[in-house]
Amino acid sequence: MHFFSQLFQFEHPWLHVSHGIWYKYPNPYCAHVASVDVLDRSVNPETGVVRTERIIGVRQNAPAWVIKILGCTPDTYVREVSFVDPVTRHTSLTTVNLSMSQYLTVLERIHYLPSADKPDTTEFHQTAEIQAARGTWRALAERLERWSVERISQNAQAGREGFEHVLRTFQTPSQAIEASAA
Amino acid sequence: MPLVPRVDSDVADSRLSTTAMSSSLTDACTPLKTKYDSCFNAWFEGYLEPVVSATSDEQRKALQKAKAEEYERNCGAMWTDYRDCVQRAVADKGLTQLLEDARKENPMQNPPSPPTKP
Repeated sequence: MHFFSQLFQFEHPWLHVSHGIWYKYPNPYCAHVASVDVLDRSVNPETGVVRTERIIGVRQNAPAWVIKILGCTPDTYVREVSFVDPVTRHTSLTTVNLSMSQYLTVLERIHYLPSADKPDTTEFHQTAEIQAARGTWRALAERLERWSVERISQNAQAGREGFEHVLRTFQTPSQAIEASAA
Repeated sequence: MPLVPRVDSDVADSRLSTTAMSSSLTDACTPLKTKYDSCFNAWFEGYLEPVVSATSDEQRKALQKAKAEEYERNCGAMWTDYRDCVQRAVADKGLTQLLEDARKENPMQNPPSPPTKP
């Protein structure tokens, strides 16, 4: 099992960031995201929490040795479940790979919370657990896990810059209408 | 201006085009997805802020109820069309079983706990 984690602050309020998660893709920093679809969505009438399940298509540039061993297809898919809690002001996204899960499980969790010290900024917590499937040849499992951690840290950097770009530029529907009327 | 702008017209769609939207699993579902996403995003904008600023549980729940009805009224039909299309695309790409297994393994019906402060 390998772990990855990072923590930083976005210079945007939590409300803005929580809108931004629906505009995160496409962005020029994450060209590997090919499609995003909502599979299920519900609002809890008691808590007001919005739960969304999405399937995200990803184009991986896997190294040749990975393709050779796994014979993996160019498009892989991940399942993402997000919760936006308006009462506790906690937004979370959990992502698990669907493709290649017979070899490897990558569980990624992101939390967005208002910063305790600066209310106009948002704390971003990201953790990932990478575990090769039981029964995978040990040397291969180790190599796969290491490669995944490298990929995650590269993607994490791009993800951060990409989301920052989105947060600076996206318009909510009413902002878009105001802008077009101006 | 109404709190939730109309999004079911071509005029609104073209106005919304300044913010790019991602594609669907298959091209056939992309127009349905764009329509539904626009509807949801407009609804969500009118949902989150008032619910966050509600001053009592009672007020918040009443607001949630009204917003749930509004969502059904504005986006319900678009959601059904889009969902049916995506379900077919998921099946065509051979992802139905993977998805079912993933849901069984980790249903994620409830939010995870927030991270513990360092």
